[in-house]
Amino acid sequence: MLRTDVTQGRTRLDLLDPVDVARLGGLEVTTEGVVEGFLTGLHRSPRRGFSVEFAEHRMYQPGDELRYVDWKMLARSDRLYVKQFEEETNLRAMVVFDASRSMAWSGSPEQTLTKLEYAQRLIAAFSLVLLRQRDATGLIVFDEAVRSITPPRARPGHWRQIVEKLSGLQAGQGTAAEPALRRVVDQLRRRGLVVFVSDLLLERDLAVTALRFLKHRGHQVVVLHVLDPAEVALSGPAEARFEDPETGRSVVIRPRDWASAYDETVRGAIRDWRAACRRAGIGYHRVVTDTPFGQTLRAILSPRGGA
Amino acid sequence: MSFLHPWALAGLLAAAVPIILHLVQRREPPTVTFPAVRYLIDATREHQRRLRVQHWLLLAIRTLLIVALVLAAAGPLVARPGVASHAPAALVLVLDNSASSAAIAGGTRRLDELVRAADGALARATPNDALWLVTADGVPRRGDAAALRAMLSRLAPSARRLDLGEAVATADRVLAGESRPGEILLLSDVQASALGPAAPSVPLTVGRPAGAPPANAGIAAVDLGPQPWSVDGGRATVTLAGDSGVQSAVTVRLGDRPPREALATVGSAVTLALPAAAPGWRVVEAALTADELRLDDRRVAAVRVAPVARADCAPGGRYAVAACDVLAGNGRLAPGGDVRLGGFGASASVVLPPEDAAAVGALNRELERRGVSWRFGALAPAGTSDSGALLPPTRVARRLRLESAGSGRSGVLASVGGEPWLVRSGPVLLLGSRLDPAWTDLPVTAGFMRFVDQVLNRLARGELSSLDAAPGDPVALPDVVDEVAHGDRRVSVEGGARYVAADTGVQYLLSGRDTVGVLSVNPDPRESRLEPATDRQLRDLWPTARVLDLERAPAQAFAGAARGDLTAPFLWLALLLGLAEVGLASWWKRA
Repeated sequence: MLRTDVTQGRTRLDLLDPVDVARLGGLEVTTEGVVEGFLTGLHRSPRRGFSVEFAEHRMYQPGDELRYVDWKMLARSDRLYVKQFEEETNLRAMVVFDASRSMAWSGSPEQTLTKLEYAQRLIAAFSLVLLRQRDATGLIVFDEAVRSITPPRARPGHWRQIVEKLSGLQAGQGTAAEPALRRVVDQLRRRGLVVFVSDLLLERDLAVTALRFLKHRGHQVVVLHVLDPAEVALSGPAEARFEDPETGRSVVIRPRDWASAYDETVRGAIRDWRAACRRAGIGYHRVVTDTPFGQTLRAILSPRGGA
Repeated sequence: MSFLHPWALAGLLAAAVPIILHLVQRREPPTVTFPAVRYLIDATREHQRRLRVQHWLLLAIRTLLIVALVLAAAGPLVARPGVASHAPAALVLVLDNSASSAAIAGGTRRLDELVRAADGALARATPNDALWLVTADGVPRRGDAAALRAMLSRLAPSARRLDLGEAVATADRVLAGESRPGEILLLSDVQASALGPAAPSVPLTVGRPAGAPPANAGIAAVDLGPQPWSVDGGRATVTLAGDSGVQSAVTVRLGDRPPREALATVGSAVTLALPAAAPGWRVVEAALTADELRLDDRRVAAVRVAPVARADCAPGGRYAVAACDVLAGNGRLAPGGDVRLGGFGASASVVLPPEDAAAVGALNRELERRGVSWRFGALAPAGTSDSGALLPPTRVARRLRLESAGSGRSGVLASVGGEPWLVRSGPVLLLGSRLDPAWTDLPVTAGFMRFVDQVLNRLARGELSSLDAAPGDPVALPDVVDEVAHGDRRVSVEGGARYVAADTGVQYLLSGRDTVGVLSVNPDPRESRLEPATDRQLRDLWPTARVLDLERAPAQAFAGAARGDLTAPFLWLALLLGLAEVGLASWWKRA
């Protein structure tokens, strides 16, 4: 069901169910809609550090701070413009995206996107937000190896290049995050933002070491832990053999018997990840694929989000 | 363990249901792709073992629950000696009320002790038990506990002897067709003389009195010598048996004549001369001074008192003449023609084969004319006379075959090689050999005098036999006997049949209106020896028997089938298992 911003009378895709959003069109179109809706909903600029040097005007959007309104332009043109400033040093962001086999899974394909599909849209939206802020944004896709690297750029049209990379993405097999994270160093020579998008079904110590390494290099690091609802709450037939699509490891259990223990284990894993990230000064967000994109973006881009 | 309702054990198949369900559930389940398997493995690693234990424990509890319910339904009984209850069983109670049970030891009659023990054993019986009582008569009587206890209350010492080996064998045969577990409880004074080998197929428990038996002396035999006695009287020899070493006063009485007394000890014999009496059958009664066992202190016999036969022995040859002369010298014969040995007399005849074979035909015609049902035949093979009361085994070198002219062979008194050798038909006796050493060794044997005496005084005059027997012993009656008289009671019998006398006393054998013999029935002299069998004798003869004091024996009745009823424990077990299953399943589910 579409949700409507009552103040604007328009449909806000950022608040729609991700599945509904995906049904509306391709990645590019829907992502723009999501971002539009997301930005419309903000009451202030999503990011601090707007450049102190004036860069250009843009149409006022609800949520923009009034202090940036160019009153002179209002007087001349009777239109509201806000002044945008260019930082002295532009933000450079690098998204490291896990496209392993485990990401291409949904516990309920009719009702939720796969983690991969959800992450594709989220990354596209995130990139668009950053690029609209003229922040350079790049993308590294990996599975058991680094599959593609899109260097961070801030020029117009770069977003379409990122979207093309995302659109043509097929899930790989295994997960090898550490080499991909190491490759970030080559792409971000100045301090920047590293967003690690993964279901974190990987070797935590290696990944955290690599993330900590990036943090030590001065980068701001954010981890988006993508989870399917079915991974949060165990369900299934009375008894089933649960098989890992990547490793082939399996276990036969009765979900009913193990739901509680599994829930505790997942909570423990999240807790461990969060604690490890906190210790390293790394931001951590748990992203469940049935969460509207706007809500997730807001959580990521909030000042407390660390991004 | 045994079961009251074994068919219910078929329900044990239901115990396989949890196992089958478990196996069915162990089928390969569907495979579900699930990326977070590592979390599942982490979650289950520490719980998997516990869960496996829980599953197996629940499986075991459920299986045991079904097993317990099925076993409870089957009525389980477990062997537990000493418990009051027992599985349905078959018990043969052998109570030895033979003559020796009348002995009084320690002021108590042995039989009373045995009956008390038997009563105690029967008190342990249940309506599901099969019970038999075997007493000295050897007849297994079946009944419920109440009926058998009533029989016990009426039981009196019997004059019969009970062969314990045969009694145990009888009990074993009774139990052979019984599906219930059987056992034999023998309550007896276990006389050594009553012991016989037995190998019962069921448990045998022997209860015997603990105390030593009293010393006892009894009359083993009364020998009245050759009969009939003459009117001048005769001699009676009384033999004592038992284990008493003291002298006892023996009193012998002929009819209602004054008694004669003498002293005698066990193992010795005393002969007393009895006074003259009128002709006829007379009862001779020997008695001892009373001791702890009264049944063997009296013994009876019968004697025929009659004038001696007036016999003509000349036709019988010189050996016959010599024997008759000796008998006449001793007052056993008198010259005369009433009985002729070797020819036909006025009233009775002893006919011998003729010297000349050519005369056999004429002799047979004379026999036919006189209505005699036997004939002389051809020469028969030599042989030895069969052992009998009349004469010891005697070699017979030559004889003529005696052939019956009628349909039967009644009247055979002695035989050689199974063929008649001395027969009787009315007042006529036929001997197959002449009284000559060329025909038979009889004339030159020591028994010849007695033989001639018996033939002339008794057989030829129609007096057949004087028999002795113990109560319960089968006696072969002479062919001509058709009735047995005992006091006022008369029993019809088939001639030649076996007769069993139940009571002691003198019984007269009748043929029509004639008394042709007498049967003296007295306790078996072996009953007088009260010495019990030793443990070794018991072990040797009854190796599987369990020998106990009489007081302990009743408690051992049904010991082989003694069972504790486990129905209630199994039901409790099922209840506990059910509660455990519910409790554990709920607890683990909550955990």
